[in-house]
Amino acid sequence: MLRPEPLYRIQLVLLASEAQDAALALARFGAFSPAPGGADALAQTPAAAYREAWLEAEARLAKLLAQCGDTGALELPADAEAPSLADLEELNAWLQGVWTACLDCHDATQRLDETHIRLAALEDTLARLERLDLDLGRLLRPDSLLAVRLGSLPADNVRRLNEALALSGHVLSRFDQSGDQVYAVIAGPRVRHGEVRGLLAQAGWRELELPDELRTHPRAARDWLERTRRQVETQSGAQCEVLDGLRGRFGPRLHEARQRLALARPLAEAARAGVRGQGGLAALTGWVPQRRLAALRATLDARFHGRYWLDLREPGPHDVAAVPSLVRYPPWLAPFVPLVKSYGVPRYGEFDPALPFAFAWLLLFGAMFGDVGHGAVIVVLAAGLARRLGRIAWVGAAAGAASMVFGVLYGSVFGYETLIEPLWLSPLHDPIRMLTLAVGFGVGFIVCTLLVNAWNKAAAGHAGEALFDSGGLAGLAFYLGAVGIVASLVGAADLLPQAAWLAVGGLAVVAAFKWAETRTAPGERILVTAIETLETGIGLFSNTLSFMRVAAFSLNHVALALAVFTLAGGLGATGHWIAVVLGNVVIIALEGAIVAIQAMRLMYYEGFSRFFNGDGTEFVPLRVAVNGEQ
Amino acid sequence: MRSASADAYLNTRVSLFAGRLWPDAALDALIAADESVVTGELAHKGLTTLAPQGEQAGGSLEQRIVAQVLDETRVLIRPLAGGARDFLSFWTARFEMSNVKTLLRSKMNGERAAVALARLTPMGAFGRLDGEALAHAEDTGELLRRLEAGPYAAIVRHARRAFEQSRDPFVLDAALDKGYYEGLVARAQPLETRLGAPLRGLMAALVDRINLVWLLRYRFNYSLPPAQVYYLLIGARYDLPAARLRELAQLGSLPAVLDALPAPWRARLAGALDIPAVFARMERAGAEYALHVLRSDAPPLARAFAYLILRERDLRALRAVLRGRRLGLGAAAVRLALQRSPESLH
Repeated sequence: MLRPEPLYRIQLVLLASEAQDAALALARFGAFSPAPGGADALAQTPAAAYREAWLEAEARLAKLLAQCGDTGALELPADAEAPSLADLEELNAWLQGVWTACLDCHDATQRLDETHIRLAALEDTLARLERLDLDLGRLLRPDSLLAVRLGSLPADNVRRLNEALALSGHVLSRFDQSGDQVYAVIAGPRVRHGEVRGLLAQAGWRELELPDELRTHPRAARDWLERTRRQVETQSGAQCEVLDGLRGRFGPRLHEARQRLALARPLAEAARAGVRGQGGLAALTGWVPQRRLAALRATLDARFHGRYWLDLREPGPHDVAAVPSLVRYPPWLAPFVPLVKSYGVPRYGEFDPALPFAFAWLLLFGAMFGDVGHGAVIVVLAAGLARRLGRIAWVGAAAGAASMVFGVLYGSVFGYETLIEPLWLSPLHDPIRMLTLAVGFGVGFIVCTLLVNAWNKAAAGHAGEALFDSGGLAGLAFYLGAVGIVASLVGAADLLPQAAWLAVGGLAVVAAFKWAETRTAPGERILVTAIETLETGIGLFSNTLSFMRVAAFSLNHVALALAVFTLAGGLGATGHWIAVVLGNVVIIALEGAIVAIQAMRLMYYEGFSRFFNGDGTEFVPLRVAVNGEQ
Repeated sequence: MRSASADAYLNTRVSLFAGRLWPDAALDALIAADESVVTGELAHKGLTTLAPQGEQAGGSLEQRIVAQVLDETRVLIRPLAGGARDFLSFWTARFEMSNVKTLLRSKMNGERAAVALARLTPMGAFGRLDGEALAHAEDTGELLRRLEAGPYAAIVRHARRAFEQSRDPFVLDAALDKGYYEGLVARAQPLETRLGAPLRGLMAALVDRINLVWLLRYRFNYSLPPAQVYYLLIGARYDLPAARLRELAQLGSLPAVLDALPAPWRARLAGALDIPAVFARMERAGAEYALHVLRSDAPPLARAFAYLILRERDLRALRAVLRGRRLGLGAAAVRLALQRSPESLH
């Protein structure tokens, strides 16, 4: 729980023709995380074509499902086998055919929609031309010296096109606009009409194809429009039937395709990391928890009856950066894990901070927001919203409980400090003590983070950093010495000479280490050493003072409640209770959120940043996806 | 970051980066230098990934050059926000437009998605397109529709419409290029008002050069009619405004166009006999101006933009040198490809 599990790097070599079944077996096994690799002798990538075919088929299936709707829950029989490359390519080709049919159908529907819009626009246009009482037949005569075109183009292009047309002796006149489309007439000498053809294509000009029926008197044109509209409506109905037919025809097989692609997914996913091979053999490389090795062998034996070769290797010191980290958490701790992972994933071998994070965060939240009533409201809210919030509701309930515990210690219930006797003390009655305790907690917290950092560095093989760096034991010695000096100066201890020696010695070791580590020109070396050493002292000092906010927020909580009661006291009986209730709602919503963020901030910046690199890789096992899971 | 500290950061960064630019003579010396000297020089200029050993890092030389430009741009835009950040980020979108063209061409040729994906330039943090999803579009139409639903909708919309009418890949490419540069001009305009002449000068040098070269190429290489040529140029108001471009598009030969240019341009282009020569001289003039801005106390954003222009010019030249060396070409051939004489610019 405090460290990622020990992993083994495995290389499973077997017949390339069985690679898809091996990947499926590993996915069902549920604890194999693929990784790049393979021996140099394995130069080929036998699963690359498989992955490519799967990606294409998956993309087509997703488009088809978006068009035809979901095909229902997906269940994969335990004995189902993964499709071979040939099966997958055949399936891909079938999906391509279906998608093309569907696309044709979709395009036909879209064309009909566009025809509807066009007819509507044509009718509008005709309505305008009717008012002009213009005979379109005469305007568009093919034997005239003047060539005329009717059409539409994007409004943005009109000015530029007009300027360009002028170079060819043409003019553009807009007569209508629908959305961003401008309807216009372009006229120019027929002898130069060829010059503008390319220009018009470039400008996105769409010819308004006026059928012969429309090149006549407006009344006759209107009759034609009515007839065409009825025709299009009939076609629309037929098109809907075709689309429904396609759904009925392809639906069952699409479901089967989903199943087969889900079975093919493990090898396609493993191929992303890189499945290597040579001469009819394929090798899947990845990481498996040490405790599952026996189970892995049993799974492979049951499926392949000895037709495989399994190479096992513990990660060496040079592999550590590439090893994923797998940590098992008890169910009660799991809801806190996303809060840690939002900062980063621990490296393999590194201390996992989830457990101390959960305790310290709850402690800080409770200390800053201690109130029995407010805590109870948070617990009730978290329980009520548990279904919607999922596991994170548990974090809310735990925070509420911590708040209640500190409420009992502070003697505070919805801000009232007289309803119950404080088991310990009310923060506002002894603020100096609260501030001192908060700083004391901060000192303990920082000492722990420095120790954990030293341990992490030592575990990673960086003994120098663990011993001599500002985040290692030398930094810790300086820090403890500095704390001792301050404690002696304020009269809390009598250790001034010893503490001073410890602080100076620690700082000198840190400076010497920085000097040795900086390999640049002498001037820059002096500068870097001085600045980084100074930064060590200032950083630790400011980080410690940062914990004063714990006390400040506990005081703030009481002060806010006092402000609410002062406001309420100036109102009548009804107004008093309304003010008290609203004030408490504001305290819970606003201050509760701020305190939660502040506690998180303290954990991230004063804690994690000191020892937690967070640049590890998560152990992501191959899995069989069901019910649309990605 | 506050404005003063952001300016200080950017100015310092640009000044540090400026030391990495290649004087012409140094580039020229690289043509015939030993392998170890080349590797050393590249490392000195922060370009270890371009060294022959850097090939192990993966990607073609072009991809590694783009990665270098993107990396430096990422460092430069760190303190920027709003329009300034958007402008420099959009400057990198040229590479993503190249990816768009690669995808479109691949779809037109009926290539498999994996082939197209292998050719795409990784855009890192600047990537705004889902290359994998786009590569799996069924055909050009679907690809264009998907692109139109993405961040480059404004550019692609016009291109799709133009392409649907003509089915001509040239029309598509030309519309995408025009759309991209008009987007850049639109982003630069508010900044030019705020930052004044240096940024405007850089944009003018860039856009006017592109417009002139496109005009010559469309008019005399592709023999397009003047009206279409004018339409394909970038709409902008720099030293070659729309009225002047219309006049130029109607002229019948390259010398006639060069004679009709403003006086300073005529002097600069005197003796240029073909379009590559015009391009080289205009680019050189643009680089001289960019260097002037870089060395001046111009606003930091203008200096950063000038640096990026110069850096990319250097990297292009470096690519010619490295490729020439690998192919075993003679120094004269490499110099010709450089279009950059050894006399000092820096």
